[in-house]
Amino acid sequence: MRINRRTKTIGWIALSSAFLIAVTLLGCFWREAALITDFSRKNLAPCKEYLFGTDFMGRDMFVRTITGLSLSIRLGILTAAASAVFAGVLGICGAVLGKGADSFVTFLIDLVMGIPHILLLILISYACGKGFFGVVVGITLTHWTSLARLLRGEVLKLKSSQYIQIASRLGMGKLQIAVNHMIPHLLTQLFTGLILLFPHAILHEASITFLGFGLSPEEPAMGVILSESMKYLAMGKWWLALFPGGLLVITVLLFHMLGDNICKLLDPGSAHE
Amino acid sequence: MRIKRLIKSAAAVLAAIVLTGCGREQVSLNPESVVVVMPPSSEPEAGFDPAYGWGAGEHVHEPLIQSTLTVTTYDLSIDYDLATEMACSEDGLLWTVDIRNDAKFTDGEALTAKDVAFTYNTLRDTSSVNDFTMLKEAVAVDGDTVEFHMNRPYSIWPYTMAIVGIVPEHAYGLDYGQNPVGSGRYILKQWDKGQQVVLEANPDYYGPAPGMKKVTILFMDEDAAYGAVLSGQADLAYTAASYGEETVDGYNLLDCETVDNRGFNLPAVPRQTMEDGTVIGNDLTCDVRVRRAVNLAVDREKLIENVLDGYGTPAYSVCDKMPWYYEGSQVTNDLEQARALMEEAGWLEGDDGIREKDGLKAELEIAYPSGDSVRQAMAAETANQLKDLGIDTSVKGVGWEEAYTMAYRQPLMWGWGAHTPMELYNIYHTEPESGRARYSPYANQKVDQYMDEALASPDLEASYQLWKKAQWDGSAGITQDGDIPWIWLANVDHLYWVRSGLSVADQKLHPHGHGWSIVNNVDLWSWNN
Repeated sequence: MRINRRTKTIGWIALSSAFLIAVTLLGCFWREAALITDFSRKNLAPCKEYLFGTDFMGRDMFVRTITGLSLSIRLGILTAAASAVFAGVLGICGAVLGKGADSFVTFLIDLVMGIPHILLLILISYACGKGFFGVVVGITLTHWTSLARLLRGEVLKLKSSQYIQIASRLGMGKLQIAVNHMIPHLLTQLFTGLILLFPHAILHEASITFLGFGLSPEEPAMGVILSESMKYLAMGKWWLALFPGGLLVITVLLFHMLGDNICKLLDPGSAHE
Repeated sequence: MRIKRLIKSAAAVLAAIVLTGCGREQVSLNPESVVVVMPPSSEPEAGFDPAYGWGAGEHVHEPLIQSTLTVTTYDLSIDYDLATEMACSEDGLLWTVDIRNDAKFTDGEALTAKDVAFTYNTLRDTSSVNDFTMLKEAVAVDGDTVEFHMNRPYSIWPYTMAIVGIVPEHAYGLDYGQNPVGSGRYILKQWDKGQQVVLEANPDYYGPAPGMKKVTILFMDEDAAYGAVLSGQADLAYTAASYGEETVDGYNLLDCETVDNRGFNLPAVPRQTMEDGTVIGNDLTCDVRVRRAVNLAVDREKLIENVLDGYGTPAYSVCDKMPWYYEGSQVTNDLEQARALMEEAGWLEGDDGIREKDGLKAELEIAYPSGDSVRQAMAAETANQLKDLGIDTSVKGVGWEEAYTMAYRQPLMWGWGAHTPMELYNIYHTEPESGRARYSPYANQKVDQYMDEALASPDLEASYQLWKKAQWDGSAGITQDGDIPWIWLANVDHLYWVRSGLSVADQKLHPHGHGWSIVNNVDLWSWNN
């Protein structure tokens, strides 16, 4: 049987989304279990019962890692979606609403991009009282820029294309043009951009939590797990860092692949290759 | 050619590894020097100036570079350092202290009563870390007599005198913290900020010459400190219970008992909103029977075993084993009686094992400072134990900026312990403005009264009895039979890796703060071989 690229791509998409959905659901389901501390089983090495071992308070690291990943993924969905919407609206507004709006949007983009990412993230998260809310607001307000810039460029290109010009001459309003003629073109970009934002959001969630400006330390979050494990590396407890870290990398890579593959399918230029 | 060079460099690297590997077993080259590792938080940010917390700060210790009027002894009573005689007037408002004549600052000038008066007046005006509001004025009467005129009686003044290093009036300025001149056992030789402090013995010291001529103090994080021990760079390094199971060749684990206690507060008033909008109080813990039940339900031995791997002692008060500690504070873990108390208070067990009263669930959230894994583990273990009592307990990590206000309405895992009874006053005495204690809502006039009397007492020894009465006088107090507004869990042992052959002199009970206390008597340490 010959497997063409389309089938292979769909296969990959199915596989990676199945893994991600499974992790997300399992994590929601294990939320309570991840918080249980049981000192009678503390500091165990990986074994059949506790695949990733247990930590200094006797928490099951496998359950904790999956819950942490699930939290990251959900947080990623929320922040990536919010960023994408933000970027979409601003990008289109900038390009469609004329010079003044455009320079304002570019100014905003430059402003946010001009400040180091992680610094701005920490500032916003801290100002919003840290925790889940702070992290969500922080990531949303810092991650929309590159996508917005991309969309704005795309809209500018479309604007000068003939059929838009004609539509405009025929008397269609700006909003009408944007909704009817531009958004269908931009959806692919937006969707791919959204998925590619995930890994960023997840990694940034992990990093600001790692630095202590995100979620609180009893939460099962990747940043918390990794920063705690650092302390135990010197004592030779490598499994506390290796397994959760490895799984985080795998998750991020899967998201990346998902984005790439969906792009291949949706992009008219390559959909039939 | 290239291969040859490669081999050469590989050989060099190998040689380096072998050489340093050999160096590992070597004891410090100089038998009169010692390298000590402390946490980075121990480095005095504002320098070695008592006005900015050196010695007399949040974590008290002997200032080493400066000398003090008095010192605390091994049993934490008071002895003399610079002072030769000390008297307090009947009304407690005048302290007269005679000082020795043979003390000299390291720049050659003699230390006189004028320097003492200057030091105390400066601290009164500038100290941002410690409370000196009880002092009206320090006056040098003659060359070797100083008088302290007080605003209010303060019988434990000698404990303050034990941590205030005397600075020279003629050499004190804005940069004193960077270039301290003192009359203490050691001289600050070198300070590489963020890295190390080097102290050298003061050749003109009036007391017995220090045995350790050179003390190097490195500031490192916990894991780096362990690394320094593994590579043999440190003679003594602090560590935590989580490292206790490890063994390192050539090092022993030194376990110092402390009053560095951990415990949590239970707000003693019902939940209410104050005029300024802050919410204080807790509807569960406002019942004294609930607080007593909690005190009985916590199994301190088990907690110490689980969280500290046994490196700790049960705590029943903020001042265990101090001369002013009331021994009757001790309780034995009794879950049955605790349950009975909860029933009596009207909190009855529901179907899910959680107690309820008038439709209200027995819920408690214990907050802990988010950077502190020991307090986190303690909060978690306490939560587990209180679940057995039928209280649905959770934990939450918070930053210090919000922790203080949270403690007005819920338990917070605190760490205390100092060589002064003032700790009792700070925790349990009401503040005049608010009418409740500073950290957790609580007020008892009787307790206040004993502590006020203790401070007003002209006789320090006699005041200990009053401090004890403030804890329990037979009918009122802050112990199990009294109001029990704070639950004390454990005194955390201070652990150190010590190189074999280094004998560390006997330690006083360490106060809160795993830092400078260990070197309080570094002048008495020695190498035995």
